[in-house]
Amino acid sequence: MSDYIIETSGLSVYYGKHRGILDVDLQVERGEVFGFLGPNGAGKTTTQRVLMDVIRPTRGKAHIFGRDCQKEGVAIRERIGYLPGELNLYGEMRAEEFFKMFASLQKNSPDPLYWRSLAERLDLDTKRRIRQFSRGNKQKVGIVMAFMNKPDLLILDEPTSGLDPLVQQTVLELVREANQAGSTVFFSTHILPEAQDVCDRVGIIRNGQLVATERVEDLTTQHFKRIRFNFVTTPLPDAVAEDGVIEISRDEQGITLEIHSHLDQVMQKMASFGITDIETIPVSLEEIFLAYYGKENGGTHV
Amino acid sequence: MFRLFLQELRFRRIAIIGWGLGLCFFPVVYVGLYPSFADQMAGFQEILDLAFYQAMGISMGSFEDYMASTVTNLVPLILCIFAVANGTGTLAGEEDEGRLELIVTLPTPRWQIVAVKAAALVLALLIILSIVAAGAALTLQVISSQIDTNVTPKNVFFSLLGALPLVLAVGMISLFLGAFSPSRRVASVISAVVVLVSYLGNNLSGLIESLEKIGPLFLFHYYKATGEALKKGQSFENLLALSIITLVAFGLAMFFFQRRNITVGAWPWQRAVIQS
Repeated sequence: MSDYIIETSGLSVYYGKHRGILDVDLQVERGEVFGFLGPNGAGKTTTQRVLMDVIRPTRGKAHIFGRDCQKEGVAIRERIGYLPGELNLYGEMRAEEFFKMFASLQKNSPDPLYWRSLAERLDLDTKRRIRQFSRGNKQKVGIVMAFMNKPDLLILDEPTSGLDPLVQQTVLELVREANQAGSTVFFSTHILPEAQDVCDRVGIIRNGQLVATERVEDLTTQHFKRIRFNFVTTPLPDAVAEDGVIEISRDEQGITLEIHSHLDQVMQKMASFGITDIETIPVSLEEIFLAYYGKENGGTHV
Repeated sequence: MFRLFLQELRFRRIAIIGWGLGLCFFPVVYVGLYPSFADQMAGFQEILDLAFYQAMGISMGSFEDYMASTVTNLVPLILCIFAVANGTGTLAGEEDEGRLELIVTLPTPRWQIVAVKAAALVLALLIILSIVAAGAALTLQVISSQIDTNVTPKNVFFSLLGALPLVLAVGMISLFLGAFSPSRRVASVISAVVVLVSYLGNNLSGLIESLEKIGPLFLFHYYKATGEALKKGQSFENLLALSIITLVAFGLAMFFFQRRNITVGAWPWQRAVIQS
């Protein structure tokens, strides 16, 4: 049996003639937190909707728990907590009524004490009608809804969207706790620091195509290096020019380079100028992400 | 599945009560006021014989004809508004509002979702019609001593309930159109056109000989709002025809909802165009 909780192959969705996603091959491993990164319109929501059988793929396959998402969707969804990206609730209901209703429609009725504790942690007043809630509070309702069943898999579409920073942290804590309790988490976001904060691996989707899937630490260490070199005498710009190397800054003590390729050659070349100190500067996921999009937009970084 | 059904009824409860009581007012007024102008009705008959009124299905020669022209003729037509609004609102409306995504991502098969919503629609229409029928029958009971007729309150009650197959057919066609068309607005417009064309087309086909042959194409052809039907009820053939239309529409609703890309809002043929 496959150890992938989510597995798609050649997954493509067209909306008429418009491309939604194209040949997405995705594997999410059991017990990991997988971040699905991409800007608006990249195909994150479409992918998640196919997984939840909300929309059907034009071609390709999607499996969750080793089962076909289209043919065995009911059995799959019994074990999933889902937060849609465009959350529209029953405004006339009180949050409490909504949770009771939603719980009653689940295969295994969730423990009311648990969803009440979730609402409490998110500081959600469950006695109020949903239509009276702000966007952030509605999002909290969606979060409780997704987590209430202690599912084996959480599929969350931009879970921290519309939330204030404190609640965002609480949501990320919930993600970590669910993961520690054995849940696999697949969540989309375009807030990169939060992906870096909680994800084991990330996939980057661009124009409907999955362009990279890597461990967060590999992505941040392997994609490119940012190194500070100090010299006795700082070399002139022309002297350090090299394909795949960008000079980020320079001062009297040395220079900072962004090295995308030929690391060994660059190191040899810098050594020839008499290095006095060397420091690797951490690269954030956000910078990696922008570098990927730099390719698309004709950027000069790579 | 039963819990989902209860929720569906819960969502409709205000509409059911509102429509039931509101529409009940219509026959109560028409039946209740009859004794006060019964004597004047004969004078109107000449005007009501005009083709326009006949096209509207209106004739008032007797209490039976008066009842048939007003109450049993117009109550189903008005209730068709609810059937269209609720039928299209059930799938297409919830999809437009973005709430259907929550329902289809529950561990429930889509066919059950359609079945539950259709069952709730059927029950809602039955309850509304029962309230209206009961109101009309009770009113007739109250005024029966003041009018000369052999129509009984029981006749009126069952005659109005006899409109159920017609409004169910309209409701189910609307449900199907909601599952088929890209939005509730489109489904509502088509459903409303079906109802209006059916109503007027049926009445005209009864008046114009050359249109007689196309009468069976109209839904209202299978529902007789006549003095005779008031006493004897609808024919088995009409009941059967409307039941078949209802079942076919329900089957189509299931078929198209099963294949529908929720949240996309497209015609079925727009769902899968592969770019090579």
